[in-house]
Formats: sequence, structure tokens, C-alpha cells
Amino acid sequence: MPGAIAARRYRRNRIAIGFSLLAAAFGLFFLGAILWTLFWNGISAINLSIFTKMTPPPGSSGGLANAIFGSVAMTFTAIVIATPIGILAGTYLSEYARDSKLAEAARFVNDVLLSAPSIIVSLFVYAILVVPFGHFSAWSGAVALAVIALPVINRTTQDMLSLVPNALREAAAALGAPRWKAMTAVIYRSAYSGILTGVLLAVARISGETAPLLFTALSNQYWTSDMSQPMANLPVVIFQFAMSPYDDWQRLAWGGALIITVAILALNILARSLAGRRSS
Amino acid sequence: MTSEATGETKFSDRVAISRRMRLQDAAFFWISWGSAAAVVLVLLGVLGSLVWDALPAFRAFGLPFVWTEQWNPAKGQFGAAAPIFGTLVTSIVAMVIGVPISFGIAVFLTEICPKPLRRPIGIAVELLAGIPSIIYGLWGFFVLAPVMQRVVQPFLINTLGDVPGLGILFSGAPYGIGMLTAGVVLAVMILPFITSVTRDVFNTVPVMLRESAYGMGMTTWEVVRYIIIPYTRLGLVGGVMLGLGRALGETMAVTFVIGNSHRISASLMAPATTISAAIANEFTEATTGIYTSSLVALGLILFFITFSVLALAKWLIGRAEKF
Repeated sequence: MPGAIAARRYRRNRIAIGFSLLAAAFGLFFLGAILWTLFWNGISAINLSIFTKMTPPPGSSGGLANAIFGSVAMTFTAIVIATPIGILAGTYLSEYARDSKLAEAARFVNDVLLSAPSIIVSLFVYAILVVPFGHFSAWSGAVALAVIALPVINRTTQDMLSLVPNALREAAAALGAPRWKAMTAVIYRSAYSGILTGVLLAVARISGETAPLLFTALSNQYWTSDMSQPMANLPVVIFQFAMSPYDDWQRLAWGGALIITVAILALNILARSLAGRRSS
Repeated sequence: MTSEATGETKFSDRVAISRRMRLQDAAFFWISWGSAAAVVLVLLGVLGSLVWDALPAFRAFGLPFVWTEQWNPAKGQFGAAAPIFGTLVTSIVAMVIGVPISFGIAVFLTEICPKPLRRPIGIAVELLAGIPSIIYGLWGFFVLAPVMQRVVQPFLINTLGDVPGLGILFSGAPYGIGMLTAGVVLAVMILPFITSVTRDVFNTVPVMLRESAYGMGMTTWEVVRYIIIPYTRLGLVGGVMLGLGRALGETMAVTFVIGNSHRISASLMAPATTISAAIANEFTEATTGIYTSSLVALGLILFFITFSVLALAKWLIGRAEKF
């Protein structure tokens, strides 16, 4: 028979654990509810024509082929721009300037960029690429996405390179390898899967970004593969179609949302399994 | 002697090779230096272009721009008070709802949950953190807003609406959209993020410390309250601040459900606007230079708000790591 103090302590413990369980149930319920709504509404919109037909005018049926193509094209271009710069910048900050004050500042700048609101990136790219050329374009959309991806890749490269044991660098130097040779032939290789994980996570991050594309790529009702023209893309089409009063458009918006989410979850799982293989 | 002759050519070869390698080394150094500089330049460019494009608005309205409520595109009168207010209020609502729940889930994941379930649930939470914010906005618009309008808001108006003082927050008509709904959507959005940060921070508590506390006969709650939270305090605050930074700058999750009205109301149910939602909704419609410039000025203010939150978070996390 526990004493009064112990009884109070146990009671308090039960209340706290009860709250924690409730919070967990509540939180997981909401997140589950979102996924469930997404699948429920999205799956009915998914059929072959969503991948083959163009975005329709209101009141007629169609698909999202041009938007899917636009998203893939802009994400790909953005990654092609951001990956080399991000990896090299991470290399500099992690290998050449590990302890310098200036690099510390550069790392901080990178973190600021990493958490800067994406709508601000859109304003920036609008000012440097849309205003001077006088029209919206897929190039500017890709650049805006690259600005989002760059700090992600930079950061993961730094983290991954700092995990490479120093003995490898010393061994390469002892063989007489110049530093760039040691980097490309030894150190990148040992950090390869980690850096690739970072790039995949950056792809996942930018393929769902809407705000950076609002004032850069805008959207386009028709198929275009000309990067200097406004280009349809899934997030902006979802935004426009969801806010519209037309049922057909809203259904397509759910379908597009499901496609994006499945793609991003797949990328995340792929990145995770790569990272998991390294650590095991 | 022939061997000496070949040795000499080899030597000159070696000089040439080492010279070439030194060049390549320098090239690699400068390319990577340039890339790091490019990152810094991008941020300076963002800041520079915002300041430059915001100048006309600040020149026209001066510093009172920040605390003027009026937003009248037809008359060319602009003030940032309403979007700033909306940004802060929605984020506060999100934190008030999201932080305790995130802590609860993190405690559940580190202390209560059966071992075999910890990894799968942890991974699920982290995967959810990667879902784009437009999905949360879509869900808020089609699912949450009608429920808020029909069930939650009438309930709040009928119960809390009559409490003196507090009642003013829950007065007015149930529109469904508004600051409360936007705050709830934001809370659900930052939930996975804060949960995974909190769980990581909780896991930094040395096993020895935790086990000695349990060995002393402490209950789970006492271990959390007197050992884990004090040990991880700064890291926790840092994680919460990072979540706050996200909520403040979020565009798509909010734009769907905020109602886009440039008004300051005491009631959480009222339609309002946030900085990012105002920019997203109005930027392509802005026809006059001063209109566009005012929207960019809003962006600049948002940048400063999120920057200060991030800097504070970094400082706290940095201090946490020193201990």
C-alpha cells in the first residue's frame, strides 16, 4: 500500500502519460486524416488521361500532362544548376575553411538561405529574371527552385564530408596526391551516398514548392517545352484549380496533389534507404 | 650513362606534372571558393533586391508604413500593420496548439512507446515532414474549413465566447476561414517538424542519466520533467524557434484559408491576411509601382522577422551544444 505522496506521484505520472498518449493519438490522427483525404480524393482522379491530356478549360475534362512535364523539366534544370555549386561550396566550407571565421559566417548565411521564406525567393528571382526580360519564363522558375535547393545540398555536403575520417585525407596526401585528386578520387567517393541523399532530398523539397514559382514560371494552359516561356507546373496548377469553383478542376487538383505527394514520399524513402545502407 | 639521361628526362617530366597538378589544385580551390562565395552572393542579392524594390514604398509612406493598418490599392494607400498582425497571430496560434502536441508525441516516442514501434512511427513522422505545404493548404481548405465553420467555431463561440476577456477572441460569425483555421493548419504542418527535432534532442540525454533517474524510483513523468527537459532546455527552445520560423514564412498552407482581408480584428475567427498570403494573392495583380513596392516591402519585413527568429534559434542551439 503506497503512501499518500507516492499515490500523488503515481497519479501525476498517469495524467502526464495520458496527456502524452492523447497528444500522440491526436497528432497522428490529424496527419493520418490528411493522407487519407488525399488518397481518397486523389485516387478517383487518377487515370491514364491525367498523364496524357493537357490542362482543360473550365467545364471540360482533361489531364495534367503539361503540368507534370513542366514540374519535371524545371526541377531537373534547378538540380543541374544547384548540385555542382552546392557540392563545391560545401567542399570549400568543410575542407578548405573548416575553422575560419569567414567560413563560419558563410555557413550562417547558408542557414539563413535555408530557412528564408520561399515566397521571398520568388520576389528576388522576379526582380532579376522576370522584370529585365519582360515576361515570365520556365528558366526563372528553375532558377528560383535552384536557389531553394542550393543551401540544402551545400549543408548536406558539409555534414557528409565532415564524417569522412581524416586518415583517408592523410593517406591520400602520403601517396603524393594533390588535394583536388584526393578530393575527387578518395573523399567524394567515400561520401558519395551521403551527398546523393542530400541531392535527392533537395529534389523532394523543390518538387513540391509552390511559392517560388508563383511569380516566375507562372503557369500555362498549353503544352510548351520552350524554357523561355511561362510553363505549367503541378504546384501552381493545383493552387489555381483548387481555388476555382469548377468540380472538374478541383478533382484534377486532388489528382495532382496525390501525384506530387507519392513522388516526394518515394524520393524520401529512396534517400533514406541510401543513407541507411551507408550506416549499416 | 644512359640511365642518368633517362632519369633526367623523368625528372623534368615530374616537374611538368607537379606544375600542372599545382595549377589544377589552384583551379579546384578557386572554383570551390567561388561556389561558396556564390551562396553568399545569392543571399546578398535577395536582400539587395528586396531593399531596392521596397525603397519607393518606404520613401512614400516612411516608417509609419509598418504600423499603418490601411491597405487601399484604389487610393494608393498602403500600410503593413494588418499583414504583420495576421502573420504573428496565426504563428502564435500554431505554436500554442502545435508545441504541446509535438512534445507529447516526442515523449511518447522516446519514453512510452514499445521499442519495436518507435522506429516505424519515427520514420512516418519524418516522412510527413517532407510533404509539401500546398497539401496542408488543400486539406485545410476542403476539409478543415467546413468542419471549423459547422462544428468547432459555433462551439467555441457558445462556450468561450461568453467568458469575460477571453470571449473577444472567439466572437463574431463562424466564417470557417480566418486566423484560427490558418493557425490550426500551420500547427498540423509544423507538427512533424518540431516532433522530429524534439525527439532528436530528447535522444541526446545520456542513457546513464536517464537510467539512474529511473533507478532512483522516479516515475516516467518525473524523469521527463526533472531530467530530460532541464538537460535539453536550450535545444528544445531552438527547435521550437525553427518551427516558428517555418510558420511565419509559410505561404501555401495559409493562403488557402486566411480569407485575405487587410483588417485587424480581435476575434481569431475573423478573416485576415498574412505577409506571405498578401504577396501570393496580390503580387501578380498589382498594377501600380507603389502597390508592387509595398508588397516587396512586406517581403522585406517578413525577411527580417524570420531572420531574427533564426538567429535567436542558432544562438540558443549553439549555447546548448557548448554544455
